[in-house]
Amino acid sequence: MNTAIKLVLFAVLAGVSPCPTSGAAPEKDAPKLEAKSVVVPFELLKSRHMALQVKINGKGPYRVIFDTGAPTNLLNNKVAKEAGVLTKADKGGLPLFGAASGAKTIKEFEVGGVKLEGMNTMVMDHPTVAAIAEAVGPIEGLIGYPFFARYKMTIDYEKKEMTLTPNGVEPGDAMSSLQAKLMGSLSAPKDKKAEPTILAPAGVWGFAVDKEEKDEDAGVKVTEVLAKSPAAEGGLQAGDRLLTLDGRWTDSLGDTYFAASKVAPGKPAVLVVKRAGKEVKLTVTPAKGL
Amino acid sequence: MRRFTAVALVASLGLLPALASRADDPPANAKVEVPYRLTETKHIMVRGKLNGKGPFNLIVDTGAPAVFITKGVAEKAKGKPDEKGWVDFDSFELEGGLKVPAARGRVEDLVQLDGMNSMGLAGIELHGVIGYNVLAKYRVEYDLTRDRLTFEHLPKFDPPPLVPLGGKGNEGIQSMGPMVKMMAAFLGLKPNFETAPRGFSGFEYAEKDGKVTVKAVLPGSPAATAGLKAGDVITGVKTDSIDSGKDLHRALAKAGTGTKVRFHVSRDGKEEEIVIELGKGL
Repeated sequence: MNTAIKLVLFAVLAGVSPCPTSGAAPEKDAPKLEAKSVVVPFELLKSRHMALQVKINGKGPYRVIFDTGAPTNLLNNKVAKEAGVLTKADKGGLPLFGAASGAKTIKEFEVGGVKLEGMNTMVMDHPTVAAIAEAVGPIEGLIGYPFFARYKMTIDYEKKEMTLTPNGVEPGDAMSSLQAKLMGSLSAPKDKKAEPTILAPAGVWGFAVDKEEKDEDAGVKVTEVLAKSPAAEGGLQAGDRLLTLDGRWTDSLGDTYFAASKVAPGKPAVLVVKRAGKEVKLTVTPAKGL
Repeated sequence: MRRFTAVALVASLGLLPALASRADDPPANAKVEVPYRLTETKHIMVRGKLNGKGPFNLIVDTGAPAVFITKGVAEKAKGKPDEKGWVDFDSFELEGGLKVPAARGRVEDLVQLDGMNSMGLAGIELHGVIGYNVLAKYRVEYDLTRDRLTFEHLPKFDPPPLVPLGGKGNEGIQSMGPMVKMMAAFLGLKPNFETAPRGFSGFEYAEKDGKVTVKAVLPGSPAATAGLKAGDVITGVKTDSIDSGKDLHRALAKAGTGTKVRFHVSRDGKEEEIVIELGKGL
């Protein structure tokens, strides 16, 4: 059963896009990094992917694709062996593209002056990566979320460079948390209907919204504004059509509650409403409450 | 001399309309803050309206050469792909107010999106990806400590066009589509994208020294109807004891509209129980 789950996860997480690819890998120890901002040049490939030159455990440089759509890093078997990410004790665990069973650790990862210790990767000969390499020359893997999550990162295609400033984020563990989720849903009773996720506003606003099923226009209808509430103080009125809350679209009840869940109490938020055919900007500061 | 000054004045005033009309256009290097969510699959997801329809959930993906949307999304957005599978969008707008001019995309059902959706892996339904052909027009800042991406238009940059590569392309991974769906069905995995609003009480509180005190009860709210009063100290909700606002939010985190919730309050030194039937609102 576990193998089946792993296979499914490997298959769907191996890149969200038709050309590119990815995978999912756990993190164990918090990798260490140097705290400074670095500019890393990238190559724009003919396939229009971003390529980086990276060193792995001091070996390389290897050319890899940088992929924000990749939940995990990925290296092919050849490079993984050469750089000592795979050892002789490792044997292919899954009958799928030579995938190693589970995450491997890159002890030392280096790109353009940025050094990271203890970053995880999957090892797999991904058919799409191989296909891209056939067209553009050697590509040894993918670098994705476990790398870029740690930085405030700016990507500039004009200058062909990315700027990285450490932000203190320790990336979570995509593969193992998804595996846990799947195991959980498998062990749940089959006849029971899954509970909806409850969307909870972070503060109290003092208004209600509604939307009829046939109503496909942008926004939701404000049905009620309670007197003396933050919403009333901000000038919201029953009958307003709420279009955005704090820069987020409010096209459904779910949207509205989700947007409100992101605004901390005491933080002023802009609400755009349509009132008598005109768009009006209001500022409402939700209070601590519920 | 005076005449020269007059001519100069007229000439300089003559420039104003041009400047003014230019000022009406959005500044070319305007920064737009685009809200995103990190999905459970660790994808950066933004929302987009295509031809005014949507919003659709799109993954920001430098690993994709272009925008890709599923056939279902193309139909909803009334986007007709040409014989090569490309669709030109009349409008392409991201949440936060980023309007992408002359955006194009490919219409394809991707096995990865299908697979994630058939199991509900991402925790939210995914409708497509945004790749190079749109991303390259902007300097994009990603920072997971914030809940927005920043898109800054590169006015002088015309990104190199896509070129056909030939070769096998994507068949290897696409061929796994049926297998993934079969496996999901075999395992009995079903997506659950349902959401529901938390029920509404309608009061403000203050926290101090481990005490949560009701500061105000909104007139006409469920809390008012149930008899909660300003000055009440909330000591418990159901069986949970309450020492902070965090406790309070946790105790009510899964309470939907219509739920009856028992509050334990201390009023003028006496313990009281107040049952609030949570209503609609926020």
